[in-house]
Amino acid sequence: MKRLTYLFTLLSVICLAACSLDEEPKASVTKDQIFSSEAGLKTYVYSFYEKILPSGSDLNQIEVELTDFGAINNLPDFQVKNSYSEVNSDGWTWTNLRSINYFIVNCTNPGVSESVRNNYIGIARFFRAYFYYGMVRKFGDVPWIDKPFDVDDPALYAARDSRETVMEHVYEDLQFACNNITMTTDATGSMVTKWAAYALASRVCLFEGTYRKYHNLNLSTSANTWLQRVVDMSKYLMDNSGKKLYTAAGTAKSYRALFTSDVPVTDEVLMAVCSSADLGVLHHANWKWTSPTYGNRFSFTRTFINTYLQTDGTPYTSRKDWQTEGLYNECQNRDARLAQTIRTPGYTRDGVAAAPDFLGYVRTGYQPIKLCLDGTKYDNAALNTNALPLFRYAEILLNYAEAKAELGTFTNDDWVKTVGAIRARSGITGGLTSKPTVIDTYFQKKYFPSITDPSILEIRRERAIELCLEGFRFDDIRRWKCGYLLNMSWDGMYVPKLNVPMDLDHNGTYDVLFYDSDANLAAAKAKLDWATVSKTCAPILVVGGANQLQQVKEVEAGNPAAGYYLTWDTPNDYKRVFGEKQYLYPIPSLVMVKNPNITQNKGWENSASNDGN
Amino acid sequence: MENKLSDIILSLKIGRVMKITMVFLLMGIVQVSAAPYAEEHHISVAVENGTFYDIISQIEKQSEFMFFYKSEEIDNGQRYTLNMRDKTASEVLNAITRNNHLSYRIVGKHIIITKVLSTTQENNKVISGTVQDAQGVPVAGANVTVKGTTVGTITDAEGNFDLKIPANATTLAVSYIGYLTKDMPIGKQSKFKVVLTEDLQALEEVVVVGYGTQKKVNLTGAVDQVTDKVFNNRSVSNVTQALQGTIPNLNISLDDGKPTRTASYNIRGTTSIGQGGSALVLIDGVEGDPALLNPNDIASVSVLKDAASAAIYGARGSFGVVLITTKDPQKGKVSVNYNGNVSLQKPTTVPDFVTDGLVYAEHFREAYYAWNNYASLPSKINKSQLYSDAWLNNYKQRREQGITDEVETGSDGTYTYYGNTDYYHELYKNQTFAQDHNINISGGSDKSDFYISGRYYGYDGLFRYNTDNYDMMNIRAKGSLQVTNWLRLTNNMEYSDMSYHNPINVGEGGSIWRNIADEGHPSSPIFNPDGSLTMSAAYTVGDFIYGKNGLDTHKKELKNTTGFVAKFLNNKLRINGDFTFRNFDDNSNRRRVPVPYSTKQGVTTWLSQSYNDYQKTFGNTLYTATNLYAEYEDSFAGGHHFKGMVGYNYETSKYETSTVLRNGLLLADSESLNLALGDATTTSADWQKWRIAGSFFRLNYDYKERYLLEINGRYDGSSKFPTDQQWAFFPSVSAGWRVSEEPFWKINKNIISDAKIRGSYGSLGNGNIDPYSYLELLSINTSGYVVNGAKNKYAGTPEVKPKSLTWETATTTDIGGDLGFLNGKLRLSGDYYIRKTTDMYTKGVTLPDVFGATSPKGNYADMTTRGWELSLSYSDKFNLAGKPFNYDIHATLADYKSKIDRYNNSTMSLDDYYEGMTVGEIWGYESNGLFQSEAEIQGYVNTIIPSSANKKVYPGDVKFEDLNGNGKIDYGDNTVTNPGDKKIIGNKEPRYIYSFTLNGDWNNFFVSAFFQGVGKQNWYPSAESGFWGQFNRPYNQLPNWHLNNYWTEDNTGAYLPRYSGYTALSGRELSTPQTRYLQNIAYLRLKNLQFGYTLPHKLTAKAYMQNVRIFVSGENLFCWSPLYKKTKDFDVTNTSGSDPDLTSGTSGDFYSYPVMKSMTLGVSITF
Repeated sequence: MKRLTYLFTLLSVICLAACSLDEEPKASVTKDQIFSSEAGLKTYVYSFYEKILPSGSDLNQIEVELTDFGAINNLPDFQVKNSYSEVNSDGWTWTNLRSINYFIVNCTNPGVSESVRNNYIGIARFFRAYFYYGMVRKFGDVPWIDKPFDVDDPALYAARDSRETVMEHVYEDLQFACNNITMTTDATGSMVTKWAAYALASRVCLFEGTYRKYHNLNLSTSANTWLQRVVDMSKYLMDNSGKKLYTAAGTAKSYRALFTSDVPVTDEVLMAVCSSADLGVLHHANWKWTSPTYGNRFSFTRTFINTYLQTDGTPYTSRKDWQTEGLYNECQNRDARLAQTIRTPGYTRDGVAAAPDFLGYVRTGYQPIKLCLDGTKYDNAALNTNALPLFRYAEILLNYAEAKAELGTFTNDDWVKTVGAIRARSGITGGLTSKPTVIDTYFQKKYFPSITDPSILEIRRERAIELCLEGFRFDDIRRWKCGYLLNMSWDGMYVPKLNVPMDLDHNGTYDVLFYDSDANLAAAKAKLDWATVSKTCAPILVVGGANQLQQVKEVEAGNPAAGYYLTWDTPNDYKRVFGEKQYLYPIPSLVMVKNPNITQNKGWENSASNDGN
Repeated sequence: MENKLSDIILSLKIGRVMKITMVFLLMGIVQVSAAPYAEEHHISVAVENGTFYDIISQIEKQSEFMFFYKSEEIDNGQRYTLNMRDKTASEVLNAITRNNHLSYRIVGKHIIITKVLSTTQENNKVISGTVQDAQGVPVAGANVTVKGTTVGTITDAEGNFDLKIPANATTLAVSYIGYLTKDMPIGKQSKFKVVLTEDLQALEEVVVVGYGTQKKVNLTGAVDQVTDKVFNNRSVSNVTQALQGTIPNLNISLDDGKPTRTASYNIRGTTSIGQGGSALVLIDGVEGDPALLNPNDIASVSVLKDAASAAIYGARGSFGVVLITTKDPQKGKVSVNYNGNVSLQKPTTVPDFVTDGLVYAEHFREAYYAWNNYASLPSKINKSQLYSDAWLNNYKQRREQGITDEVETGSDGTYTYYGNTDYYHELYKNQTFAQDHNINISGGSDKSDFYISGRYYGYDGLFRYNTDNYDMMNIRAKGSLQVTNWLRLTNNMEYSDMSYHNPINVGEGGSIWRNIADEGHPSSPIFNPDGSLTMSAAYTVGDFIYGKNGLDTHKKELKNTTGFVAKFLNNKLRINGDFTFRNFDDNSNRRRVPVPYSTKQGVTTWLSQSYNDYQKTFGNTLYTATNLYAEYEDSFAGGHHFKGMVGYNYETSKYETSTVLRNGLLLADSESLNLALGDATTTSADWQKWRIAGSFFRLNYDYKERYLLEINGRYDGSSKFPTDQQWAFFPSVSAGWRVSEEPFWKINKNIISDAKIRGSYGSLGNGNIDPYSYLELLSINTSGYVVNGAKNKYAGTPEVKPKSLTWETATTTDIGGDLGFLNGKLRLSGDYYIRKTTDMYTKGVTLPDVFGATSPKGNYADMTTRGWELSLSYSDKFNLAGKPFNYDIHATLADYKSKIDRYNNSTMSLDDYYEGMTVGEIWGYESNGLFQSEAEIQGYVNTIIPSSANKKVYPGDVKFEDLNGNGKIDYGDNTVTNPGDKKIIGNKEPRYIYSFTLNGDWNNFFVSAFFQGVGKQNWYPSAESGFWGQFNRPYNQLPNWHLNNYWTEDNTGAYLPRYSGYTALSGRELSTPQTRYLQNIAYLRLKNLQFGYTLPHKLTAKAYMQNVRIFVSGENLFCWSPLYKKTKDFDVTNTSGSDPDLTSGTSGDFYSYPVMKSMTLGVSITF
C-alpha cells in the first residue's frame, strides 16, 4: 500500500499544480497597452493610412470612369440607363469610422501628454473628415456617429442626420486637425501634416459651398459661409506653408514630374501615396494605362483636348483650320501640359518614338501618359514606382480662385497668383496678368452654357486641365450640377481619309490605317509593302452596325472629302443617362431592411432605376 | 516477471475466454540450449507459510528464470513452508508442484507451470508434429490440446511439439492468437503437420480505445480499427495518404497529390459551421503529426466515432478521435526486418492540351473576338506574346509553306514566335522515382525489450526542372524495462525529419499550373534561338528552368514519451503514467528573384523585378502531455464483471513563429538572409499558448458478456475559454446486448454465429478554437502602405467580442449492430447516428451597417448530421491444386447529410447558410439547351447573365429556363423565398463513400486489391477552372476535348456553347452554376493492387533469413468516373481548388499538384 500512497500523492500534486488555466497572449496587444504611449498611438494611427487612403493602384485609376472627357471600354452601371438602383448600390460601409472613433474615444490616457494626444486625435479627426466627406458626397444625408457603438445602442437605429449637421461636424474635425496636428514639414511627402489638413479643409469646403450654391440648398449655413472657409483655409496655407508651384524642371517637364517622380515633389505636393521598389510596394499604373485588356482603355476626347490653350493664351478653337487639323498639327504650340498628359508627336518610350497605340490601347488618338512611366518595363505587372499626389498646391490655388470668383471677390491679383501662375508654369505667355474678360464661346457652349462669368469659366477650364485624372472631375460635375456633361458623345482625332495609312507623329512609320471595308483594306495593303508596314500599323475598321464601337463621323455632314472624326461607342450613346437623382447615390436596399428609420434618397425610392429622371 | 506477464494476462482477463496457452505464445519463447543453465544455476528458497507467488518471486530474484502460468490455475490459498539451499530449479519446482496438481516445464530460462494432466486418464500414445503458418513459418508457442481434455502442450521455437495423449483421444485442437483454431482428427497418425490460417476478423480482436484496449466483442461504442495491413507494401509519402478510404466515415479529403499533402481528419461529416473542428489525432496517446510518422511503425489505427467512445478525451474529442498506435517490441530472439521498395511514379492523368500553336492561336482569336461582340481584336496573347491578324496569317502561310522555324528574328532583333509548345511536357518528367527503406530491430526478454526502426523515403520530384525533391527520415526507439516485479518503465522516442522543395513562380503569383494557363501559350516556344528564355517561358516553366525560385520547407519533430505501468493486488489494480514532450520545428525558406528573358536579340529583360528577396520562417511548437490513470477490474460470482478507470490528463502547447523577409539579394543564388542587402526588411511574429487539463473516468460492467454497459465522463478544462467558462463536464453512456449469448438464442451458430446490438449517447463540448478568441486584442500587422519611408507596423481595431458565451456542443446518438454469420466467416457491422451540433459559434444577429464591425458572433446556430456506415467482411478458403486458397473480402460504405436547424439569416439569403439548408447544396439555373437561332433568342426572355461584353446573346449561347415565368432570367432577391429562376441543382458533399478490399493467398503467393470511391457527388467547375479552357480566358490552354465540341452552325448539337472567352469568369454564362454543365464526380478507384510471393522457408532458412517476401504493388492504377466521359485532363479528386500552398485556392480547380500513380517493386526480409 505504501507504493499506492506514493503514487496517489504524486497524482494529486500534479493535479493541483495545473488547475489555473488562464493564458495571456504575447504577440498581440490590449487596448490599454496601445493607448499608454506615444509609440502605441502612432502604431494605431498608421492603420488609417492603410485603411482609408486609396492605394497607388486605386489612385491611378481614380478617374477612369464617370468623367466627361474620356472614352472608355466599360461603362459603369450607374451611367447605363435602367441599370442601377438601390439593389446594386453599395458603399454604405462604416468599418473605418468605427476604427477612427475607437481611437478618438480611447485616446485618454493621462500618461501621454495632452498635446501629444491631441496631435494624434487631430490626425484621427483628419481621417474622420476624409471619411465623412466621401459619405456625404455619395449619399448626402448620413448619420453622424462619433463613438464605437455597443451592440445594443439604440442609436444604431437612428435616422440619417442632415447634410448640414454632418458637414458642420466635419468642419469641426478639420479645424481641430488644422489646429492640433504638429507636423508641418515631411520630407517624405507621405504623412498627414498640418498642411494636409488645411488642404483637405479647402477641398471639402469648396465642394460643400459650391454644391449648396448650384443645388440651391437652403440651409442655415449658406454657401457663402463655406466659400469663405475655402478662402480662409486656402489663404492660410498659401501664406504659411512654404509650398509653391514646382517649376524647377522647366516648362516641358515640371508638370508631369509631379506624377512620375518616385519621391513626391514636396515643393508642391502636400501629401502623396508613395511607392517603393526597395520595399516592394508598387502600383499598376502602366499596366492599366497600356494594356488592351487590363484597364478601361481611357482615351481623351477631342472636345476636351480642344480646350487646351495655345501657347499665347488664346483658345485653340480660334485657329483657322482647327477643325481639320490632324494629331500632329493640333499638338503644335499648345499649353505644355498637353504633351505631358497625352502622347503627342515626339513622345518616346525607351528612346523609341511611341505614337498613340491604336492596336493595343487608344480609341480616340489621345492616349494618356500623365500617371504612367515611359519605360515599357513597367507595363506588364504592378511595377510602377512613381508616387501619386493626394493633395498638391495647385489644387489649393484653384480652390482659392474658384471660391473667390463664386463669392464675387476675385481680383486681378488673385488671378496672377493662381490661374496665371499655373498657366505660366506650363509655358503659356498670354493673359497671365489680369483676369479674363472675354468668354471663350466654344468652351462655354460645349461645357457650361449657363455660366457667363469669364473668370469662373476660365477657372473651370484650368481645373479640368490641371487636375485631370486626379479624381476631381466627377465631384466637380456633381457640385456644379452639370451631370449632362456625362452624356457627351465621345469624339476622337481628325482622320482626313479612310483606307490610307497614317503616320500620326511624323516619325516615318505608319501607325494606323482606318478602313471601311475588307475590299478597301485589301486594296490599301496592295499599294504598300504590307509585311513591313503591318509591324507598326494597325488596320482599324471604322464602319459598321450597332456592334461596331469604333466608327467615324463626317466633319461636315454629307461631305466625306472634308474628312472625319473618330468616334467611340456612339451606338451606345443613347444608353447613357444622368438624371437629377443621380447627384446622389441610392442607399443600398438592405440598409433600409436592417434599419427602417433610414429613408431613401429622392428619386431612388422603391427600387427606381436610373431612368434619366 | 509476474507483472510483465500480467500485461498479457490483463487482456486475457478482460475476455476470460482466452486460452491460457496464449500467454506462452506471446512470450515468444526463446530456445537456447538452456539445460545447462537450469542445471548449473543453483538457488535457495526459504518461506514459511508462504504462497506460491512468494516462492517464485524468490526464484526470480536469484536467477534469470521467468515464470509463465495462468493465475486462475494457481491456488493462492495454498501455503508452503520450504527451506532449500543451493538446489537446482527442478528440485525446488518438484517440491512445490508435487502435491497441488501442477506440473512444470523448463524451456531455456523460461519455466512454464501448468495444471497437471488428469491422473484419471491414461497416457498411452505419443504423438509429435510441427505447426506452421500459411507461409510455412514455424509457429512457436502454439497451443496443442486434446479436445475436451486438459491434456496439452505448446510448440517450441521451431514449431515442434510432442505430446502423450490418452488412447481414446479423437481430435487435436491447435490454436494461436490471431489464427483460427484448427481441429485435426487424430486417428492412427502419430506425426502431424498443422498449418494455421490467420483469423483476420477474430472475435477476440482487441481494439485500442481511449486510455486502454477493449475486446471488440465487448465494444459498446462506434469504434473501427485497421491494422498495419493498410500500410503494407504501399509506396505513399505519408500516413494520411495511405489511410484515405480505409475506414468508413473517416473522411480524408486531400487537396491534391503533392508528397507533403496531408489533411485534417474528418469523422462522420460536417462538424461545425462555427468553430469548425476535425478529429483529434493521437499517436500513442499524445498529439503528433501523422504526416511525419513512419507508416511501418504503425501497429493499428483506431477511430472512435461516437461521443461515447470519444468522451474520455473531452472537448478535443467532440468530433471523434483517431488513435494511432505504434508497434511494440517483439520479445524473444532479436529479429531484424528490412522492408524496401522502389517505385516509378507519374501523374494519374496529364492534361491533353492542344500543342499546335496555330490551332491554339486561331481559337484564342475567336474566343477574344466573340466575347467582344465580334468588334474588337486582341493585340497581345495576355501579357507575353504579341498578337495581330497579320501574325496569324503569317503563321498560316508558314504552315502551308512548310516552314517549321518557330522563331523569326526581325531586322531590329525582335523575335516573332510561331511555336508549338507542349508546356506540360516541359513541366513534368515522364516518370519519377521514389524509394523507401525501412529497417527495424526488435527483441528482448521479459526484463527488457526494445524496438528500433529507421526509415528513409525519398521522392525525386515530378518537375523536369527545379524539381520538387521530397525526403523524409524517421527514427524510433521504443523499449521497456521491468524494474521490479510490479513496476515496468517504458520509453518511446521518435525523431522525424521532412524536407520539401517547392518550386515557385515569380512572374505572376500563384501556382505553375495557373501560370501555364495564363501565359504558357503553345504559340510561344520556351527558348529563343540564342538560348535565352521567351517571355511566356519566364512566366511559366522558364522560371523552373532558371531554377532559382522556390519554397523549401523543413519540418523536424522530436518526441519522447516516458511512462510506467505498475500492477498491484494480483494485477487487479494497474496504474499507468506517462510524460511526453514534443518539439516540432516547422521552418521554411523562400527565395524570389527576377527571371531573365528576352524579346529582342541581345536584350535581357527581367521579369518581376519587384521580387528579389529571401524569407525565412521559423516555427516551433513545444508540447507536453502528462497522463496518469488507474484501472481496477474484478469479477464476481454469477458472471458480473466490473472494470473501472480513473485518470488525469494535462497538456500544454506553446507555438511561436517568426518570419523575416529581406530584399536585395547579392546573388540570385544567395541562400542566407545575410546576403540580402536591401532596405526592405519585414518581420512578423506570432505566439500562442494553450493548456488543457482533465479528469476522466470510465466504468464498464458486463453480465456474462451478454449485457454490456459503459459510462464515461470527463471534467475538462481549457485555457482557450474565458475564465468562467474554462471547465465543463461531459458524460456519456453506451450499452450493448449480445443477443446471441442469450439462452433463448437457438439459432444455429453455423448460420448466425454472433449478434450484438449497441447504442450510445453522449454530449461533448467543442474545444476546437483558437487561443485568445475571447479577448479583445489589437493585432499588429505590417502595412502595405509606404508612410514616412517605411512599411510601418500598425495596430488593428479589435473585433467586437460577445458578452456571454457557452461551449458549442456536439451530441451524438448512435445505434449499431454487429452480426456474424457462417461461423464468423461473414461479418456485418453497421451504425446509424445522429449528431446534433448545437450552439455553434456563428455570425451574430444582423445589425445596421453603422455598427461598423462584424456583429459579434455568438452561440447562434444548430445543425443536425445524420449518417450511417456499414462494413461487411467475408473470409474463407478452398483448396486449389491441393493447397488452401485463403481469401477475404472487406467492404465499407458510409454516408452522411447535414442540415442547418438554426442560423442568423433572417432574409434567407442564398449567399450564406440558412435554416433548413442541406450543407453542400448547389443553387443554380436550369439550362437544357443552346440557342439555335437569332429568331429563337428574339422570341425568348431577357437574361441578366452575360455571355458577351455588351450582354448581347448570340445563337450558340446557353438558354436558361425561366422557371418562375416572370419573363426574365434572374435571381430574384437571391433568397430562398425568392430565388428567381434558381433552384437546388445538386450537392457538392460526397455521398456513399465506399471501399472494398480483396485479399487472397495461396501457396506462398498473395494478392490484394483495394478499391475506394464515392457513389454520388456533384461538382460545378469554378470560374477559373481548367475545365473551361479558353472559355475562361481566351489565352488559356485549349483542351483537346473542346475541339469540335462547341456550338457552331454546323455543330449545333455540341456540348459546349458558342466559342467565346471570358464567359467562365465569375458571374457570367458558364461560371454560373447550371444543370447543363453540372458534373458528376462519383468515382471508383483502384487505390492499391499488390501481388507478392513469400519464398519458401526451406530456402530462406539456409540464408539465415526467417522470412523473405517480394512484391509488386501499384497505387492509383485505375480510376473510373462519369467526369472522365467529358474530360480526363485532371484527376477527378483534384477538383477542390488550386494549390493551397501557393494560392488562396481560388485560382481554378485542377490547378494543383497531380495525383500520382505508382508501380512499386519491394522486398521484405526478416532475419
